[in-house]
Amino acid sequence: MTANPNVKKKDNRSLLAKYAAAPHIVWAVLFIIAPLIFVAYYAFTDASGAFSLLNLAEFFSPAYLKIFLRSVKLALISTVICLLLGYPIAYFISRTKPKTQRLLILLIMLPMWMNFLIRTYAIMVLIQDTGIINSFLGMIGFPQMSLLGTETAVVLGMVYDYLPYMILPIYSVMAKLDYRLVEAASDLGCNGFAVLRKVIIPLSLSGIVSGVTMVLVPSISTFYISQKLGGPDTLLIGDVIEQQYASSNYNMAAALSFVLMLILLVGLAVANKYTDGNEGGMMP
Amino acid sequence: MKKKLSAIYIAIILSFLFAPIAVLVVFSFNSGASTSVFEGFSFDFHWYAELFKNREILNALKNSLILALTSAAISTVVGTAAAFGIYHMKKKWIKRSVLSATNIPMMNPDIITGISLMFLFVFVGTLLGLQTKLGFWTMLIAHVTFSLPYVILNVLPKFKQMDKSLPEAALDLGCTPLQSFFKVQLPAILPGVFTGMIMAFTMSLDDFVISYFTSGVDFQTLPVLIYSMTKKSVKPTIYALSTLIFIVILIMLLISNREQTSGARLEAKRKREEKRRREAIIRAQKSGKPVKVKKTSGDKGPRRSRSFNFTKIIALVCVLSIIITLCVTLSFFSEKTLVLNVYNWGEYISDGSEDSYDTNREFEIYCKEELGLNVRVNYVTYTSNEDLYAKLSSGAVSYDVIIPSDYMIARLASEGLLAELNFDNIPNYEKNISEDFKGLYYDENNLYSVPYTYGMVGVIYDANRVDPEDTADSSWDLMWNEKYSGQIVQFNNSRDAFGTAFYKLGLDVNTEDRAVWDQGLAELQKQKPLLKKLVMDEIYNMMESGEATIGAYYAGDYLTMLDNQADNVDLQFYYPENTNLFVDAMCVPTCTQNQELAETYINFMLSDDAAIANAEYICYASPHKNVYESDVYAEDMGEDAMAILYPENFDFAQKYDQNCYKDLNVETKAYINELWSKYATDYTEEEGCGSLIAGGSSIAIAIVTVGMAFIVKKKED
Repeated sequence: MTANPNVKKKDNRSLLAKYAAAPHIVWAVLFIIAPLIFVAYYAFTDASGAFSLLNLAEFFSPAYLKIFLRSVKLALISTVICLLLGYPIAYFISRTKPKTQRLLILLIMLPMWMNFLIRTYAIMVLIQDTGIINSFLGMIGFPQMSLLGTETAVVLGMVYDYLPYMILPIYSVMAKLDYRLVEAASDLGCNGFAVLRKVIIPLSLSGIVSGVTMVLVPSISTFYISQKLGGPDTLLIGDVIEQQYASSNYNMAAALSFVLMLILLVGLAVANKYTDGNEGGMMP
Repeated sequence: MKKKLSAIYIAIILSFLFAPIAVLVVFSFNSGASTSVFEGFSFDFHWYAELFKNREILNALKNSLILALTSAAISTVVGTAAAFGIYHMKKKWIKRSVLSATNIPMMNPDIITGISLMFLFVFVGTLLGLQTKLGFWTMLIAHVTFSLPYVILNVLPKFKQMDKSLPEAALDLGCTPLQSFFKVQLPAILPGVFTGMIMAFTMSLDDFVISYFTSGVDFQTLPVLIYSMTKKSVKPTIYALSTLIFIVILIMLLISNREQTSGARLEAKRKREEKRRREAIIRAQKSGKPVKVKKTSGDKGPRRSRSFNFTKIIALVCVLSIIITLCVTLSFFSEKTLVLNVYNWGEYISDGSEDSYDTNREFEIYCKEELGLNVRVNYVTYTSNEDLYAKLSSGAVSYDVIIPSDYMIARLASEGLLAELNFDNIPNYEKNISEDFKGLYYDENNLYSVPYTYGMVGVIYDANRVDPEDTADSSWDLMWNEKYSGQIVQFNNSRDAFGTAFYKLGLDVNTEDRAVWDQGLAELQKQKPLLKKLVMDEIYNMMESGEATIGAYYAGDYLTMLDNQADNVDLQFYYPENTNLFVDAMCVPTCTQNQELAETYINFMLSDDAAIANAEYICYASPHKNVYESDVYAEDMGEDAMAILYPENFDFAQKYDQNCYKDLNVETKAYINELWSKYATDYTEEEGCGSLIAGGSSIAIAIVTVGMAFIVKKKED
């Protein structure tokens, strides 16, 4: 609008290119940024609307801190398991024929189309004392495991629900990986492990970071999985936020959300900084 | 060898991913009604038939599909345009900040995105003075918001991969920028657009958390409906639906995969034929014969037709979603039928399943035939009284009929959220409701409520595993009996859990004395090491299958469990001396749009047919005189069930007064919340902060180490 005729360097973008992102920017300001301001507003006020830090301080009270640490612990464990399970499979898939690759990726994605509440419900049936897993263990003469209601069950649920979110981004990077580099490395005398450490992992780092993000974030904040599969000792921070919301304590819910959000966003921003602007989309 | 190992590994992971889905499929053919005890296959597609009779589920499915299609279409268009704009951005900092803002919904936990959007919608709605603040539009906005990053993230790299000179060449050759975009750039980025759209559709269809916080009364999606089925057990009907969805998607995926591979195969075939032809020509030339080779079909150039296919599919989907959006919009604005919004507990009305009475449909027929009105009942379900209160008090939604429990009615009435009923429109109240249920504490003057069901909490146990002597005194002690450690389940909500401890100790459940609540907490903590799990609707599965041995729940629900129990389980039931009694009653909130119709609905619910059908369906006791006296009802329920639901020589009014839950003051409620989180976290003062600080610092160290590792790695590179 305030185009200066003296400026030599002309903006040679077409009008279309200049304003194509405008609707999205307006949308982002209205529905991404503005709601977060509301969270901050509720977090810093009490029920009467007066400024208050009490709700925020509550996050750091021993009871809530303990829940938060438990959430972090379980989420980290599930993320690591997802990575250990998902990384090899992403690699193996990327080494198969293109036709097989497509089919396998479809199969990995398929469970994501089924409702996740129902899938979690079905896990309950699988792991209960009289469930299929325990019947199988009994058949082959192993001692039965009482899983339902334990932290193990919650981790199992998280791994099950979020494993595809780990596999897909890693696979999408692996599929683009130039395999000649691997061959070159082995020709130059690297053993299998060295190839993995020096070539494959660094090249797929962006996929790993997006995979870790996509598993860590939902598992740290889940409330359904812990509600259905967990026991009396597996309350997570997501459960607490949901409970506060359900008992109409919006300020407390906002305060807990606010702190959780800050911690996560800062952590993720740091992680992303070290993997410069990755292209880790979910798909090749 | 290596190949074999990797194939085995892939197979193991896939079977892990598909095991729960196999469970769903198998249980959708269960001949029993349980989702945990398998009673054998029945291939009469019983649960599938139920599914197609269930209006609530089908309606939710329709809503989910509409929402997923529209939000995917909108986010694809806006997101592709945005990616185009972002790609052309000159200033780095603008580009970076737009991208970071875009990524927020992906990086942020869903629960926070959901809550933040809810705050915004309610605030804006209040500013605009809207009666209904949450609904289709708010959900659509929410879904577009969280789908956008996926579209942009899939499209942007395609722009980067594209040959930069192509659009310039197009412009030089006289295309307008718009033409250059559609003719040159769009075909190049189409695969990304397509994947983005599929992802947006998937995310929207599967989303529960964000929908849960932004859904209103007139538009409930499938995940939200399923979540609200927490008080009553989930039926295999839902499994049947999941199986169908699974099959449909599997077929769609296989077809699309085939099409893609057949495209590739065609290409290969074309090349092969080309080669053969050339060889033939060469051979022919060598032998000096005249060349005469048939043209092959592969010459049409399958590559172009394939990308054309993509465009066609996308165009089709866009057109479809636009049509659907228009239809929805039109139906919102030009609805001539009256809509009655009913908000009830999940599975708390006779809904026509298993050839039962379809209450809401019968009401619509009644309105049409008797009153000449076109009425549509919009039936939505909630998870708990507190959930209902949250929705109602935030002013987010508008309902016409709600069915809360007693203490919530008292609270809603005291906050002026309930409308006074005009009993001239509800003649059945005077006629049919037993005197015992009038003038109860929550509505002493009979102004606001009409009782719907009532019931009592009792102790359920598996007689095969509990010694008879332990149950001889019919007391709460059974739930604290160390012999059954690891086999007991307790309520997963503070009020009911504290209730069991209070009744056991003979304390007043409605006290506002903090010391007494501390006493309750101590009692619960004593029990905690013996517990298997905190439960709500999970108790059905756990008791039926024998996973748990002892638990407390509502009498009517015990009857449901009894029907579904496994062969080696023998469930029994008793009422302890003191236990919770509740009444759930129908009320009309002040935000109603049509009070008279709401009252007509309440009156209809009290007609004999509807009341009996509902009492049989819910399995709770009915305050309706004619239900209790009905022979058909007594016969359908059976003698044992009648004895449990309506104990003999039972002075309801007196017991109720003594043991019902009342609404507590704000401070006490806050204190209970605090105690409950203490209970859940197991935090005791003695434990102190030492372990917490240790845990916190170890996590901090872990994070720092990971960060350092990244930095070191970076430097190495």
